[in-house]
Amino acid sequence: MEAQETKNGAEDIIICRDVHKWYGSFHALRGITTTIGRAQVVVVFGPSGSGKSTFIRTINRLEEHQRGQIIVDGIELTNDVRNIDAIRRDVGMVFQSFNLFPHLTVMDNITLAPMKVRKMPRDEARQIALDLLERVGITEQSDKYPPQLSGGQQQRVAIARALAMQPNIMLFDEPTSALDPEMIKEVLEVMKELASSGMTMVVVSHEMGFAREVADRMMMFDQGSIVEDGSPEQIFEDPQNDRTKLFLSQIL
Amino acid sequence: MAEVSPLGNPPLPPPRLERGIVGWVRANLFATRFSGALTVASTLVFGAAAIFGINWMLFNADWSVIATLGGQMVIGQYNTEAACPGQNCFWRPQASLLMVTGILGMAWGVAGGGLPKRIGIGVAVVLAAFALLPYSFERMGMDVRLLLAANIPALGIGWAVARYTPLGTSPRIALSAVVVFAVTLLLLRGIPGIPGLQPVSVLNWGGLTLNLLLAVGGIAFSFPIGIALALGRRSHLPVVKLLCVVFIEVFRGVPLITLLFMSQVLVPLAFPENFPQNSLFRAAIIITLFSSAYMAENIRGGLQALHPGQAEAARALGLPSWQTTLLISLPQAIRNVIPAIVGQFIALFKDTSLVYIIGMLDVVEISRAFIQGNPEYLVSTKELFLFLGLVFWVFTYGMSYVSRRVEENMGVGRR
Repeated sequence: MEAQETKNGAEDIIICRDVHKWYGSFHALRGITTTIGRAQVVVVFGPSGSGKSTFIRTINRLEEHQRGQIIVDGIELTNDVRNIDAIRRDVGMVFQSFNLFPHLTVMDNITLAPMKVRKMPRDEARQIALDLLERVGITEQSDKYPPQLSGGQQQRVAIARALAMQPNIMLFDEPTSALDPEMIKEVLEVMKELASSGMTMVVVSHEMGFAREVADRMMMFDQGSIVEDGSPEQIFEDPQNDRTKLFLSQIL
Repeated sequence: MAEVSPLGNPPLPPPRLERGIVGWVRANLFATRFSGALTVASTLVFGAAAIFGINWMLFNADWSVIATLGGQMVIGQYNTEAACPGQNCFWRPQASLLMVTGILGMAWGVAGGGLPKRIGIGVAVVLAAFALLPYSFERMGMDVRLLLAANIPALGIGWAVARYTPLGTSPRIALSAVVVFAVTLLLLRGIPGIPGLQPVSVLNWGGLTLNLLLAVGGIAFSFPIGIALALGRRSHLPVVKLLCVVFIEVFRGVPLITLLFMSQVLVPLAFPENFPQNSLFRAAIIITLFSSAYMAENIRGGLQALHPGQAEAARALGLPSWQTTLLISLPQAIRNVIPAIVGQFIALFKDTSLVYIIGMLDVVEISRAFIQGNPEYLVSTKELFLFLGLVFWVFTYGMSYVSRRVEENMGVGRR
C-alpha cells in the first residue's frame, strides 16, 4: 500500500473514470475507475472473458470505450485522431501472438516506426535497434525474418520493437501465453529488467510468480469489473473477494 | 563405431531410400491393381496420341503458312503501303523492342544476375536469332536483320547504364520502363511533320504488337486501380465503398466482349467531343477497367486473409492508417495472392485478342483474315492456329515462370 501512495497523486499517468464498453449487447467493461501511477507495475488477471484484455486495449484505443473518460499521460482519449496517434506513440504494446511483421527483417521491424513516425534518421534508428536487441538478449539475428526465430525470441523482438518508440507506458497482453515453458522465462526476465528500469507497465498475465516478484499492484477482473485491487502480498495472503479466492485457488 | 552421445542414444542417419527404378515404378505406377490398370490405359491413350501427333507434325503438316504470314503476325498491317505510304516503318516497332531489351539489361545490371539476367539474355538471344530467319533479302531486308541483331548490344548497353550511371536503381528502372512505354506509343503513332515519323493510324496497328501493348498497358494500369478499388471496398466511408462495389460488380458482371462493343458507343460520351480518341484507346480503357475489377477482388482476398493483429500492431506503434495499409497490410496481402494476380494477368493477355470484335487485327484475327483472304491456305488452318496457341503459351508460361521465381525470392510459404 505504501508503494501506491508514493506513486499515485500528481504522478498518475493513466486515469480511468467510469469506463464502459459494449460489444453489441455484451457489456464487456462495466464502469472501470482506477488510476495507475508513473513507474507502477500492474498485473491484471482474472478469468477469460472478464474484460482484462479489453481494458488494456482501451488504454491505447485499439478498442474504443463508449462511456466514461480515459486520460493517458495528460491526453484524453477521444475520437480526435491526433490525440490517438500521440498516445500510441507514447504507449508501447506487446501482444500474445507477437504480431511481428513477417515480411520485414527483425531490424526493419524495429526501425520502421521510429523512422516513419518519429522521423528518426536511419542510422540512429539502427543504432537504437541494435542496443535494444542486446538489451533483450538477441544479437546477430537482426537480418533474419521473424518466422525464423523461436517464439521466445520473437516475443523479445516484439518488446524491442515497442521500446524503440521510447514509450512512457508499456502494455503487455498475455505476453507469455503462446510460449513453451522454457521460453516463458526468457521473456519474463526481459520484463523484470524493464520493470526495474522504472517503466510504467500494465501486464495482463497469469504468471503469478512474476506478479509476486515484480508487481507493485494487482487487479482482479471479473465480468467487466475490477473486483479486487491491491498489493501482491494482500492478494495472495489475504484476498478479500470470494471470486478472487476461488480464481486463485484454481490457478495456483 | 558410431559416436555415442552422453545420453546413450546416438543420432541415427535417416533411412536410405533403397528403391531404385523398379521400386519407384512399383510404388508410383503399380501400387494397386486399379492404379496399374490406370497406368496401362493412360499409357496407351497418350502414347497413341503422341505417335499420331508427332507423325502429323513432322510428315503431314505444312508449316509454310507461318512463313508466308511472317512479319504480319508481329505487326499486322503496320508496315503496309496503305498504313505507312512511301517509307519503311518497320524500324519503329523494332526501335521500341531495342529499348525494352535495354530495360531488361538495366534490370540485370541492378540485380547482378539471377532471374533478370536469365530473362534478359533469353529475350535478346531469341530476338537476335530472328535476324537469321531464312527469308530472302527482298522479303526481310538487311536493315531489319541488323536491328534485330542489335538487341544483344542493347542488352549490354542497358546493363552498362545501370552499372555506371545513376539510373541503376530499381525505382529509376521502373520509371524508365514507363518512359519507354510512352515513347513506344509515340513512336508507333508517329509525329506529324517530322520526316520518317509520319503518323500511322492506330487502326493499322496489329499483330502480336497490339496484343502486347494492350496487355502491358492493361497490367500496368489495372494493378494500381485494382489496389485502389480493393481498399475502397474495405473503406469505412459508405459512399466510397458503395461506388467501389458498384464498379466492381458491373465490370465483373458483364462479358468483356460486350463491354468492348459498348465501349465504341459509351466511352466517347465520357470525353469532350473534340478529345482525340480512337478504337485502340477505347479498347485499352475497357480492358484495363475490366481487369481492375478482378484484380480488386484478388487483392481484397489477400487483405481479408491477413491476421488482424498485423494492422493492430502497426497502429499500436503509432503508424497512421495509410502507412499501416501501405507498409504492412498491402505488401503481405499482395505477396499472398501472387498466383491469383498472375492468373489475372495471363487472362488479360489472352483476352486482348477479343479486340477483333471492334475491328482490330490482333495476331489471331490477322491470321484468320489471312486464311479467309487466301483460300489456298484453308488446308493449313490447323498448323496456323496450333502455332498461335504456341505463341500465346510461350508468353503466358513466361509470366507464370517469372511469378514462381518472384514467389521463391520473396519466400512465400517459408516466412
